[in-house]
Amino acid sequence: MDYKETIREAAQALRRNVLRTSLTMLGIIIGITAVILIYSIGQGAVRFITDELSSFGTDYFQINPGSSQVSTFAGSEALTFDDLDAIRNDSSLTNINYVAPIAMASETITANGEEDELLIYGITHEILDILKPEVIEGEFITEDQEISSERVAVLGADVAEKFFGEDTAIVGETIKINNRTFRVTGVVESSSVLAGGFINNSLYIPIDVVINQIIGEERLQEIDISVHDSNTINQTIADVEALLRDRHNLDEDDENDFQIQSAKDILSTVETITSLLTAMIVAISGISLIVGGVGVMNIMLVSVTERTREIGLLKSIGAKEKDILTQFLVESMVMTLAGGVIGIILGVAGAFFVSLAFKIPFVVSVPAIVIAAGVSILVGIVFGLYPARRAARLSPIDALRYE
Amino acid sequence: MATNTPFIFLDHVTKKYHLTGQEYYQALNGITLTIHEGEFVTIMGPSGSGKSTTMHIIGALDTPSSGKYSFKGKDISLYTPDELAEIRNKEIGFVFQSFNLLPRTTVLKNVERPMVYAGVPQKERTSRALAALELVNIADKANNLSNQLSGGQIQRVAIARALVMNPSLILADEPTGNLDSQTSHEIMDFLKSINEKGRTIVLITHEADIARYAKRIIRLLDGKIISDTKN
Repeated sequence: MDYKETIREAAQALRRNVLRTSLTMLGIIIGITAVILIYSIGQGAVRFITDELSSFGTDYFQINPGSSQVSTFAGSEALTFDDLDAIRNDSSLTNINYVAPIAMASETITANGEEDELLIYGITHEILDILKPEVIEGEFITEDQEISSERVAVLGADVAEKFFGEDTAIVGETIKINNRTFRVTGVVESSSVLAGGFINNSLYIPIDVVINQIIGEERLQEIDISVHDSNTINQTIADVEALLRDRHNLDEDDENDFQIQSAKDILSTVETITSLLTAMIVAISGISLIVGGVGVMNIMLVSVTERTREIGLLKSIGAKEKDILTQFLVESMVMTLAGGVIGIILGVAGAFFVSLAFKIPFVVSVPAIVIAAGVSILVGIVFGLYPARRAARLSPIDALRYE
Repeated sequence: MATNTPFIFLDHVTKKYHLTGQEYYQALNGITLTIHEGEFVTIMGPSGSGKSTTMHIIGALDTPSSGKYSFKGKDISLYTPDELAEIRNKEIGFVFQSFNLLPRTTVLKNVERPMVYAGVPQKERTSRALAALELVNIADKANNLSNQLSGGQIQRVAIARALVMNPSLILADEPTGNLDSQTSHEIMDFLKSINEKGRTIVLITHEADIARYAKRIIRLLDGKIISDTKN
């Protein structure tokens, strides 16, 4: 049998009834579009988050108080300076590079006649290395300022713009936090899509000043720990965890009253969520493909019935069962593959526009496309086989006599 | 009339069609018939006489319920569907009364089709199909769609297709049933000239003036041969 001829003829047969063919392909198109679209977006999201996280580095982890993320601010389970010092002073934790505490507060800021409620970070100078914003004016909080508890503030770029307008030098200006005057010593800006929002919208003040003069109690919202060797970070995390559990007098059965998260953890969480979502969508599209396949089978059965006399004629001039089988099978495969190709094109195009709209990387997964094309052909074979066999097994005289 | 082996030999052939349960319809009631190579035979009979069933069995489209059918010396009554397809493809050319051509397909592709099943390469298919169309004087319509042809033209294309595999037997089932008398005689003249070149032809018809083209007329009634005469 001449396969080029068979495929050409199948395409011709399908073109004769464009409306019917396109309606039949719709289920396949929808299924394949959904798979390609969601898979590409999912991969784009993972790529986006990976890029973001790796821009901050994988050589640090953070500790937050509370057994769940919700209770970080609740305060019943606290992280204290004593915890911080215990980690700092434990000589067995040799992998630790530095330990940076953060105390947060949300306060009313007044400056230049404007007033706004903003997030204040009580920090040490090391935080610059972790959040990695760009210092666009002046300088970041220095170690000296920390020690002398100076009332100085570094502003996020958006905060600076809000109070003082664009493109003005503001180092040396003053702002008021709860009626206490602070001197502006620098402006920072982060270009990170994920973290830039809050980095640029916050103020940075030496931690002792925040604890003693603003919050009034000793409570840490976060301890960031940088390590020398990111390969052994999990061991360091386990050591710190054991240390804190011991300090917090937790029994073996008790859950942690704090949370430790590394950049790697966040990445794997994101990957888990994405792959779950992808699996779900693939399952749903699978249903669409089955429904589409049943439609294909239905139309192929109609087509076999309509062409019964044609089949009889072909058998009379020497078509064997395999020839008729091939003809109808190729026809249903051409139909589902065409649907698959349209679905792939729509899915890739959709993913492209989504990536533009949400500023995530545009990822085209070649394996996904190859699998999608393969699955479309498979649907054509699975659901085309029964009609094709029925055509192939028609007896020549029954087919010739069919009215 | 070359050899001693009969070209077609039906030996006490019967054909039953099962209806419901135990009931059946006896279409052929023990037909014994010999046709030699090069003959031009007409099978006549009223509807229900079994002439179509006889043609189906001779044409390897169907197999007998009992009895034997030897084609060119080989008993093909127990051949599988695919073996029969092979016989039809290589040895038999069919011309039907209607629905002879694939609709919405060019004349050329229609004539090429038996060669597709025989595995003839494309180039050879085209040249052989064109030659066959030339033979029936319709090569100028090669690229027309089959549904753009008149009844007479369709039958000529059907003859071209029947000839293209160079079969030993042409089976024509009421080939002039849908044609006016002038076109009918044109078609019959074609068939006659083909026979004169040595090819065996078996023709089914109920029209006496068409049957007259044959050298031998076999009449059937109720699944039996009632006469077998030289013309």
